[in-house]
Amino acid sequence: MRRLLLVALLCVACRPATDRAAAPAGPITVADAAGRAVALAAPARRVVSLLPSFTELLFAMGAGDRVVGRTAWCDYPPAALAVPSVGDGMPPNVEAVAARRPDLVLLYHSGANVTAAEQLAGLGIPAVLLRLDRLEDLGPAARVIGRLTGRVAQAESLAAAMDTLAATKPPTPSPQSLVFIVWDNPPIVIGHGSYLDRLAALAGARNVFADVAAPSAQVSLETIAARDPDWVAVLSDSAAPPAFAARREWRAVRAVREGRFLNLPGSLFGRPGPRSGAAVRQLRARLEAAP
Amino acid sequence: MRWAALGAAAALALLASVTLGPAGIPLGELTQSDIVWNLRAPRAILAFLVGGSLGVAGAGLQALVRNPLADPFLLGLSGGAGLGAVVALATHLSGPWALPLAAFAGALGALALVYRMGLVAGAALDPRILLLGGVAVGAFAAAITTAIVSLADAAELRNAFLWLWGGLSAASWDTVLVLALYAPLPLVVLFAAARPLDLLALGEEPARYLGADVERVKRRVYIAASLLTAAAVAVSGVIGFVGLVVPHIARLTWGHRHRALLPAAFIGGGALLVLADTLARTVVAPRELPVGVVTALVGVPVFALLLRRWTIA
Repeated sequence: MRRLLLVALLCVACRPATDRAAAPAGPITVADAAGRAVALAAPARRVVSLLPSFTELLFAMGAGDRVVGRTAWCDYPPAALAVPSVGDGMPPNVEAVAARRPDLVLLYHSGANVTAAEQLAGLGIPAVLLRLDRLEDLGPAARVIGRLTGRVAQAESLAAAMDTLAATKPPTPSPQSLVFIVWDNPPIVIGHGSYLDRLAALAGARNVFADVAAPSAQVSLETIAARDPDWVAVLSDSAAPPAFAARREWRAVRAVREGRFLNLPGSLFGRPGPRSGAAVRQLRARLEAAP
Repeated sequence: MRWAALGAAAALALLASVTLGPAGIPLGELTQSDIVWNLRAPRAILAFLVGGSLGVAGAGLQALVRNPLADPFLLGLSGGAGLGAVVALATHLSGPWALPLAAFAGALGALALVYRMGLVAGAALDPRILLLGGVAVGAFAAAITTAIVSLADAAELRNAFLWLWGGLSAASWDTVLVLALYAPLPLVVLFAAARPLDLLALGEEPARYLGADVERVKRRVYIAASLLTAAAVAVSGVIGFVGLVVPHIARLTWGHRHRALLPAAFIGGGALLVLADTLARTVVAPRELPVGVVTALVGVPVFALLLRRWTIA
């Protein structure tokens, strides 16, 4: 609630700036995550977003009508589904992206995407690579996207809310523990420093693999059983227990035996974005509601 | 003496496998621990059965195709198993056994296809065509698999590859029971072919003159070795190197007589995989290494050393 109020206040405070930002005097230049300098003559009008988080950010800052291309994974907000898909984006289909005649392409900063961005730049299409691995990356990404689309004020209010969330101290001590199972055979779990690890901490849960210094890691089933988490969290859109719950070896994990699963919808929990705060609140509510 | 040493090595590997693990269970509590009984013990036994099966399958196939490079997974079975697993994920087959059964079916499909290609003029099995056909069928299955994975919009399909290279984490008393009931038949078929396999080393013509029913032996050995490998891939994914190297190591000590070589390859392969899996679970704990990485890291230096001795002698 306090966060909403803060957003509202910021929106009011920034209102006059919007008008100035909407008509910038000169070209917009940004340095992207790969250190490439990208210049736009004017705010982008035709944007291809190659990451669901970027699509959510664009819609959240009121630039949804400028999105002319998205990935197959971009399923939120529902209005985004009306935008033509350019494929799964892994790696981007440069030709399909170019066919949308964009004046800006937003890409997640990864090795394969640097190549795609260079290819797009070669076609004269400005392409910006942005980092989005952690909660802290959200605010900066929102500000850059805001400048590129001429939505500086709206982006700033979004970014400020995200910075607040990222700066929030997790409640201590965390009474409940959980493990995020990404894959069951071999068991792959979420480790320290990843986005989901932060979400859990903010929601008041302790990730039992917070000592693993990697976003995700293969571990032994035995380790999961020995660390004895209260909950097994999986990204799943259905409410049914995951298939591995029926496998005998998984019965060695107490939370699996007791059916203590947290099925987290992938669209809300699987990506950092404007709804990260909502994800934290939903997870906290589910933990508090449980016995 | 060498049998005693091999037996001791296997026993030690099994003992280490149940006493060591990332959970750090005190020695005094080992016998009461749920983790030891329901995770470590079945995993150790499954590793032994899978490693032994791959060792015997490799030894049999190397004799059959008379090629030291033959590896059970060279015959297209891993490609077929991967395709089966991806189809199971893509069609949302549910149930705890869906993935292993689908992989097994895929491996059997590849087996049948390679076998049919290898049957020249509908009768004689040509070992060279088995090898080439295996590589071709494996590549074709892998291509279809990759096509399905890249065309489908489900992220979990990409994980089929994780499953395929997964190792022994799916071990439970259920999987041990299934393999323990299944593996003896093809193993007995291979052990029974020990004498004709010795003769086959002389070449098909001389073997025939010495009284071996060459065509029948070739068919039986190929099918039995493939059935063993298909089961291994279904319960533990593709674990490379064991089926290639264990027979060679065994041959250096036990010679070329299959009556001794095949049991030695079974115990040696089992011991190697148990040891490799113990290392995979413990050296980077709480993380875990893919067991195929460890079989290669442990096996290659040993292999290189023996290879040098072999070529010098």
